[in-house]
Amino acid sequence: MKEIISVIRINKMNETKKVLSQAGYPSMTAKKVSGRGKKMSNIEVLSNLIDNGDLNTFEHQVVESITEKDRMLPKIMFMMVVADEDVENIVQLIIETNQTGSMGDGKIFVCDVDEAIRVRTSEHELDAI
Amino acid sequence: MKMIRAIVRPEKTSVILSELLDAGFPAATKIDVVGRGKQRGIKIGNVHYDELPKAMLMMVVNDEDKEDILKIIIKNAKTGSEGSFGDGKIFVTTVEDVYTISSGESVL
Repeated sequence: MKEIISVIRINKMNETKKVLSQAGYPSMTAKKVSGRGKKMSNIEVLSNLIDNGDLNTFEHQVVESITEKDRMLPKIMFMMVVADEDVENIVQLIIETNQTGSMGDGKIFVCDVDEAIRVRTSEHELDAI
Repeated sequence: MKMIRAIVRPEKTSVILSELLDAGFPAATKIDVVGRGKQRGIKIGNVHYDELPKAMLMMVVNDEDKEDILKIIIKNAKTGSEGSFGDGKIFVTTVEDVYTISSGESVL
């Protein structure tokens, strides 16, 4: 069994849920988290834009808010435990659904799970998921 | 690749995150959690608290960066020079695969 942990955009949550349940993988756990990635806004380019007056006042505030160095953005952390052979398929579905092509789309992590137990029946491993 | 999950005091997160950023490790996820440790929570007067608010910092990093990151977290999460109960724990697990959604590639 593998655990798939992905961090995705908040507004992609419903679509991801829909796509995965249509493909036959309905079980999941999601949590609101805040995070940041490795790509930082290029402050120089943005401040040049502000100085040149290419942006109006409202946009100025937007730019200020995204250039702050270590700002954490709200994201959804999406977790599911699945059988080994489904991992490839699910990862593809998540990528297809969440890809906008720009930075901030998120990451997917795949980890190994040693044991899974269904609380109601004490079933183990694949029977439990 | 390794997943580092550090459970730390919530008031320490901003200093840890900015130190990590300065050291060149910007990527991190923060989750608010509650928990208790070996001390079974704390007792103030007659009231026993065992759901203490903590922050969990999650990072997935290359194997060679692990030690540096652990050092930074430990240094900044400690309270006082000796540290004290409730400063938190760090767990490291193996991550088998990583995908970046924007490019669809299997890189960190």
